[in-house]
Amino acid sequence: MHRLWNRVDFAFGSAWQNFWRNAAVSIASVLIVWVVLLALGSLLLVLHSLDRIVALEKTKASAISVYLADTTPLSSAMDFKLHLEADPRVSNVTYVSKDQAMARFRDLPALDPSVIDTLGTNPLPASLDVTVKDIRDLGAIDQEVRNSPLVDKSPATNYEPNVIDKIILLARVAGIAGLALIVGLTGLSVFIIMLTIRTAIYLRRKEIEVMKLVGATDWFVRWPFIVEGLLVGVLGAVVAVLIVGFGYRPAVMNLQSVLIFVPLAFDPNYLRIVLAAMLAFGLLLGSVGSYLGVRRFLKQ
Amino acid sequence: MAALTPDAPQISLRGVSKTYPNGTVALREVTLEIPKQDFVFLVGPSGAGKSTLVRLLIREEKATSGIIRVEGQDLSRLKRRHLPFLRRKIGMVFQDFKLLPNLSVFQNVAFALRVTEGALRHLKPKVEEVLSIVGLEGKEDKFPDELSGGEQQRVAIARALVHDPRIFLADEPTGNLDPATSWEIIQLLLQINARGTTVLMATHNREIVDVMRRRVVAIEGGQIVRDEDAGGYHAPALESR
Repeated sequence: MHRLWNRVDFAFGSAWQNFWRNAAVSIASVLIVWVVLLALGSLLLVLHSLDRIVALEKTKASAISVYLADTTPLSSAMDFKLHLEADPRVSNVTYVSKDQAMARFRDLPALDPSVIDTLGTNPLPASLDVTVKDIRDLGAIDQEVRNSPLVDKSPATNYEPNVIDKIILLARVAGIAGLALIVGLTGLSVFIIMLTIRTAIYLRRKEIEVMKLVGATDWFVRWPFIVEGLLVGVLGAVVAVLIVGFGYRPAVMNLQSVLIFVPLAFDPNYLRIVLAAMLAFGLLLGSVGSYLGVRRFLKQ
Repeated sequence: MAALTPDAPQISLRGVSKTYPNGTVALREVTLEIPKQDFVFLVGPSGAGKSTLVRLLIREEKATSGIIRVEGQDLSRLKRRHLPFLRRKIGMVFQDFKLLPNLSVFQNVAFALRVTEGALRHLKPKVEEVLSIVGLEGKEDKFPDELSGGEQQRVAIARALVHDPRIFLADEPTGNLDPATSWEIIQLLLQINARGTTVLMATHNREIVDVMRRRVVAIEGGQIVRDEDAGGYHAPALESR
């Protein structure tokens, strides 16, 4: 216990001294770790948001609204509904009246209800909301219903085959670009931490010489430098974690007020995972960088 | 020629050669035995191989060929992780003292115990004990730049003694000291030797070697050219010239 305490005390004391003895270099490595972790945390949160949007769009996408002309009588609409329900590809059909459509429209969070009231008449068509079993049948059904005389022509349905593909593509591009950035920054930060440790070793070369001479073990000599690397990783991580931890909710709120129709959401559980991942990655950067820094110098 | 060996020699070299990577041959087929409690002067011109021999004994360098045994241990087979424990059995001092300038006298000596995770509960009494052996009581809180050269070398000697070494290697310990101070250091090494520690001292100091009349091993061009009990710095033939 006594010896362990001595080892810990010596390693932390020396690491702390090293950190401040070449403060400029140490702070540069803290900054680069901070940037890497900020990029990592932001990317994870953005990709998570895009994932959720894609998931939401996918459930929406297995359904289309077939808009009915205002002239269509309710009985014809019901016959058409039965006709569609008989189709083996269709799982469910729901009739939405003009009034129901209006009520849904009013519920959109960003719209001012008083604007709608000035319209006087209800411009929204009644619709049949058709859900299909397999999303790939949606295009064929869209083509069929367009030919029915009951269907409004402007527009006939809300079928938009490309939306999901576009979002998935966006997520993929953001993911790859972000990953490339993080990989590059990771390499850079490991290199800078390694240089920091090498500098610390250089400044302590006399002590290291004496330590080896009087019979200190290799690990006893190495530990202070490994601890210094971890210290750099932790400091960078703490700053990044605080910024992401406290900045995530305001960022979501601000974005939501701009992107009214995009379903963003604050997800505290996912945030916790991201923050833990950032801290772990910071420690990893610090330990790998300092390990590379000490690896060579003790060999003879 | 060599001293009588009642036990197995504490240090033994058999046909040891050392060639550095740049091709310099520092030692050629050196064979030498040093028994326990011996006091040996290692003499010879600069570049003769004295320092290489010292470096081989603490395995700062590995022999290119031949067998070196220290306390019965074959150094070529010593695993790297066991190396620190060899070094703890060997006290070492140098011409340039190798003290840490930002540590006090006490801290410089205590440093050797701290970094080897020695018996820390006894750290203070142990440091005080070795400082009193070298006669530096009352200077514990001084820093190296406040001490004379001789005092600095005493701190280095105290540091080398904290592990109660069985072997004491001194590489030109008086090289930076004036004659009077050099004699004080030699007296200290004799005292350490009298306590049962084997002492090997590499030196250029002709006067000391000649007066002491101890065992002298002379190296030239990487080879042992003379090994005499109670010898002088130069061979008798040369001295009479």
